[in-house]
Amino acid sequence: MITTRNLDRAAYIIFIALILLAPLVLQEFWLNRIAKFLVFGILGVAVSICWGYGGILNLGQGLFFGAGAYMLAMSLKLASNTSLQQGSDQPVPDFMLWNAEPGAPTELCCISKVSFLWLPFQSQWFGVAMGVVLPIVLAFVLGSIVFRKRIAGVFVSVITLALVLLVRLLVIDAQPVTNGFNGLTDLGTFQVAGFEFEPYSRATYYLVAGFLALALVGGRLLVETRAGLILQAIRDDQNRARYLGFDVPVYQVFFFTVSAAISGIAGMLYVIVAEFASPTFMDLSFSITMVVWAALGGRSSLLGACIGALLINVVAATVSETQMFVEAWKAMIGLVFVLVVLFLPRGLAGFGQDIAEALSARRKPAAVAEAEGRTP
Amino acid sequence: MLDVIFIGLSLGSILLLVALGLAITYGAMGVINMAHGEMVMVGAYTTVMGALWLNLGFLASLPLAFVVTALLGWAIERVVVRRLYGRLLDTLLATWGVAILVQQAVRLEFGMSFFGLHIQGLGPGLQNVKVPEWMTGVAGIFGNQVNIYRLFIILVTLVLTLVTWLLMYRSEIGIQVRAIMRNPRMAAACGIDVQRINGLTFAYGSGLAGVAGVMMSGFKTVFPDMGTSMVVDGFMVVVVGGVGSLFGSVLSAGLLGQVNGGVASFTNDILARAVVFGLVILIIIVKPTGLFSFKGR
Repeated sequence: MITTRNLDRAAYIIFIALILLAPLVLQEFWLNRIAKFLVFGILGVAVSICWGYGGILNLGQGLFFGAGAYMLAMSLKLASNTSLQQGSDQPVPDFMLWNAEPGAPTELCCISKVSFLWLPFQSQWFGVAMGVVLPIVLAFVLGSIVFRKRIAGVFVSVITLALVLLVRLLVIDAQPVTNGFNGLTDLGTFQVAGFEFEPYSRATYYLVAGFLALALVGGRLLVETRAGLILQAIRDDQNRARYLGFDVPVYQVFFFTVSAAISGIAGMLYVIVAEFASPTFMDLSFSITMVVWAALGGRSSLLGACIGALLINVVAATVSETQMFVEAWKAMIGLVFVLVVLFLPRGLAGFGQDIAEALSARRKPAAVAEAEGRTP
Repeated sequence: MLDVIFIGLSLGSILLLVALGLAITYGAMGVINMAHGEMVMVGAYTTVMGALWLNLGFLASLPLAFVVTALLGWAIERVVVRRLYGRLLDTLLATWGVAILVQQAVRLEFGMSFFGLHIQGLGPGLQNVKVPEWMTGVAGIFGNQVNIYRLFIILVTLVLTLVTWLLMYRSEIGIQVRAIMRNPRMAAACGIDVQRINGLTFAYGSGLAGVAGVMMSGFKTVFPDMGTSMVVDGFMVVVVGGVGSLFGSVLSAGLLGQVNGGVASFTNDILARAVVFGLVILIIIVKPTGLFSFKGR
């Protein structure tokens, strides 16, 4: 029997099967590119949980992405050949030498005032752990303050936006420990039990695709729990949910934090695939771009938001052969975005759901008759 | 000490210049206009084009930029914003799309560059604007060297604020705007043509951005992306000041300008901006409605 729910499940299964089968037909170059876009797909899922299901428009999602990316990149930077070959006991990143005060010792602990913060990152797994923990802590603290104060709507957006720009400036200003504008480049490879995840390899692709599948399925199951339903009730009418006796901030903080954790993981995966971390992750335009993906694909569908991210990036990559088309494509995105907000507020996923409903409605008479035969 | 205060004052006046238009469109109409920065950019390009094609002087481009951006704003209201009243966050998204469109229109010379045609003064590159000579020097005030152009910006901001205040609080149309602000349906029931007034308000707010663009073009390089950071600053001023309060916007622009200038005087510009962002976050958390706001219905 075709129901919208079954169609929905089928869509998830087909999509996950497609991304798992894609390496069979993709060249190495495209494998890496698509892996990058799958990371953006994970971001789409994160935005959708927060915005589509929670009604919290976070214009600073890049903060969590950037935090995850920088944490892992710091570990991988210390694991790179250049860092290991500075002739010191512990690895020292090359840019620290360039930025060091004359006469400073070539040691990670004391080459500049706060470089000791890098010390624990000599262990890769510390970086990985921090890549999840830092976004979670940031989101939990921020969410607890904001949602307990019952700040909602635009004000949350302005706070998150100001925060991501604030952190971006701090990262740029702390040149001696973060390499400022240039970000962290020339990284070592990510290793698990001696196995190296080369950015252009199939293994890396499957690492990313696996996490995307996990985010999609896990996220879907999560928003269908009781807590997820309450979150949607809060989105639709915060006051009513409050008067019904639900502790509104608890649900908001929880899902805000989940979304941040997913973004942090996406940031780490991006570092593995793209081999750099830079302050551009925390640009305003990047955070808004994520929202654009989710809006185009359908903000209240995890799969839709993910497909929106993939679709926009794949088309952008195919037209990017000439500089002229890149600029024209940007204009197209602007136009499409205006049209989607005006005429398809539920995005492509909403459009798909309408079609699915029309399909199942056609079969309805039989189903309805059956149901009516049973109920009286 | 006095020179630091003056720098803060001049930074604050620039903030206010950009924020005035937003205070109108966001404060009065509840539209988050992300294309506001692009209006500033269009105003700056109007100055560039006016000088190149019409031989217009710097001052003469002030009214021209106002008219051009007001018309553009009016068109945007007609085509996009009008359909989104009441969907606050959606206006943010849709106008972000509009902002990209306007940026790309300038960068691609309205699409002409596809056909190998180039319009002088447009395109992806940087543009420069010549400021009249008498504005470039410095003047001595209370024994301090003060940049005349900065003085001029403060003066223009003062005049615009005054005009806006008169328009909003001392004119027939201002009463209608404020009535819509309090309760659009009630205003409509009282015989106010809400659509027409909204269109005019949006056009006026955009026109103010255009004038800000002319002033910006005098001391910053003009390029297609120049508006993006301004819209953020403008928003912070309006939100901190309190939505719908002109007085609040003036005060918060002054406050943020002074903090920016003060912190920058003993650290650097980057940290100063970071401190301003931090202050904005704190103020919104402590007082989400802004420093000065009235209760809407």
